[in-house]
Amino acid sequence: MEAVRNALDFSDFPRLDLIVAGSVGIAFIIFPLFPHSSFAMSTMIQFLMFSLYGMGWNTIGGYGGQVDLGKAQYVGIGAYTTAVMLILWDVPFWVSMPIGMFFSVVWSFIIGYPLFRLKGHYFAIATIATSLVLKDIFEVWDFVGAARGLEISPIKYHPPDFLRLIFKEDVYYFYVILGFFFIGILYMNWFRKSRLGFQLRSIKDNEDVARSLGINVHWAKVKTYAIATAFVSMVGSFHACYIKSIEPEDTMSLDISILIALMAMLGGAGSLWGPIIGAGILIPLKSYLKEWLGAQAGMVGIDLILYALIIMVISAFEPRGVWGIVEKIRRRKRS
Amino acid sequence: MDILVGSLFAGLLIGMVLALVALGLTIIWGVMDIVNFAHGEFLMIGMYTGLLTAQGLGIDPLFTLPVAGVVGFLLGIICYFGFVKFLLRGPMVAQLLGTFGLMLFLRNLALLIFGSEDRALHHGILVGKSFDIGMGIIVPATKLACAGLSVAAFVAVWLMMHRTKMGKALTATSLNAQGARYMGIPTERMNALAWGIGGATVTIAGALIVNFWSVNPFIGLLFTMIAFAIVALGGFGSVPGAFFAGLVVGMITELPGFWDFFTYTFEADWMVDIPMTSFKYMWVYVAYFAIMVLRPRGLFGWKQ
Repeated sequence: MEAVRNALDFSDFPRLDLIVAGSVGIAFIIFPLFPHSSFAMSTMIQFLMFSLYGMGWNTIGGYGGQVDLGKAQYVGIGAYTTAVMLILWDVPFWVSMPIGMFFSVVWSFIIGYPLFRLKGHYFAIATIATSLVLKDIFEVWDFVGAARGLEISPIKYHPPDFLRLIFKEDVYYFYVILGFFFIGILYMNWFRKSRLGFQLRSIKDNEDVARSLGINVHWAKVKTYAIATAFVSMVGSFHACYIKSIEPEDTMSLDISILIALMAMLGGAGSLWGPIIGAGILIPLKSYLKEWLGAQAGMVGIDLILYALIIMVISAFEPRGVWGIVEKIRRRKRS
Repeated sequence: MDILVGSLFAGLLIGMVLALVALGLTIIWGVMDIVNFAHGEFLMIGMYTGLLTAQGLGIDPLFTLPVAGVVGFLLGIICYFGFVKFLLRGPMVAQLLGTFGLMLFLRNLALLIFGSEDRALHHGILVGKSFDIGMGIIVPATKLACAGLSVAAFVAVWLMMHRTKMGKALTATSLNAQGARYMGIPTERMNALAWGIGGATVTIAGALIVNFWSVNPFIGLLFTMIAFAIVALGGFGSVPGAFFAGLVVGMITELPGFWDFFTYTFEADWMVDIPMTSFKYMWVYVAYFAIMVLRPRGLFGWKQ
């Protein structure tokens, strides 16, 4: 009960934040009632998915300061577990999702244990390497369809199927992921005030001091890595049901790992709202740039050039993200 | 037996070229402690430079190396003063993502300009020729020449680092940037120089590789990861380490050949079923991970 009360307690934020957050939340809930294009709907679902990925990354990367660029492997594990179990044994989503999370967490312990002996750049690149190894394995593994990937054919089921999460209309998917989104926020709100959250922040500030205060640094990092993994894997399972066709190239590529980290950084790593703001800026930007520019003849790649320029400008001039700017303004007002 | 020696030889030759690819990365890492994700993209630009110069001017691809070197040097300097300089002030995550953005930018610029199809060189005095060095081993002339030129470039850089004043200043900066600044070394200019040399060596390597490898805008990431593996194995910032590690990684990329050899030698049927060729580059990543975990300093590294 204590944990639930902590999770629901947002009282340490300024009132302005809460009003903005509350009205945005209500806007999300009533969004499908208004006329919208199906493209806007899918962008919205993408945004919610990626803000959940970002929240997961934010535990280890934001609060813990360990830059992890291998999150895509857990998207892959979650997505493949759900897809394989649904296609072969007709296991419903709500069963296969926890199993996928379990697999991801086990894998995260296996590689996290040696990984966290490394620091900084070395850690970041080693996570990329593990992710690429897993992707290469999935690309030749016939059981999961090798490079062709897997396809969930919706004809076999009778949508709306709430157990297997097979729907015709995107609205259902929207509400399912929105539910996850709110639970994710509550969990993160609890996490940042939990013992582990405080331990992580002290590790980020100064690892030696944290160790001298009796914090088991290595174990705290491994645990947090597993939490981040569980988040990502959960949304990966959802991704399998939503996209219905998964292949190693678009579930496990390096681009996804980077995008996840980038969103959290753009919004402001290490803050509750950071990843959500980052996803809210980056995902619509990316999909609309693609819609407007990418499809035009002779302009292949121009949307990604603009996107890359934005990444470069942000990381060069405002690495603390949007939330960093907000906090700077607030501090200036106070003094 | 000839498969074994052939694979060994092929691994050594490709390893020498890969060592040159990794050289720039290790210099940049040593001097400024920054990871350059765009390294493979520099290589891609070197490949396109070699290809287009050779085709445009109608000269042999091996004579395009100076052009590629100049292009790479300028590219490195421009990237440093135009972009990387600003990254250094930020936290680590910004540096990682910033150079990733640079990589994405260069890759898609190449996609916009050159299109996505594979391009390869089809002419040149060495293309298509090969030597038979006995025991049934056939060495393609292009690979042999490229390996030789790589070693030459490597030795040139090594001499520059150890025999000239400029190179010593560079080494001093990588050992202790603050101390070097107190000794009157313009560290800012040294950083730019590191990027210039890094860019030049990798584009030269690209102009060599294009002799036997077709080029498309997406080729960079593979070489970036191979270069990371070589740098990790050799030790971050170590020049001789990069050379030996390059040879080792070259061997690893030739693993399918060794695998075939052992399959035939022991007549092990279960070995045939494993598709080694598809795992070719996975072993590079596995080796990289193993080295990072077991010995983060690498074989010759001094930076922890």
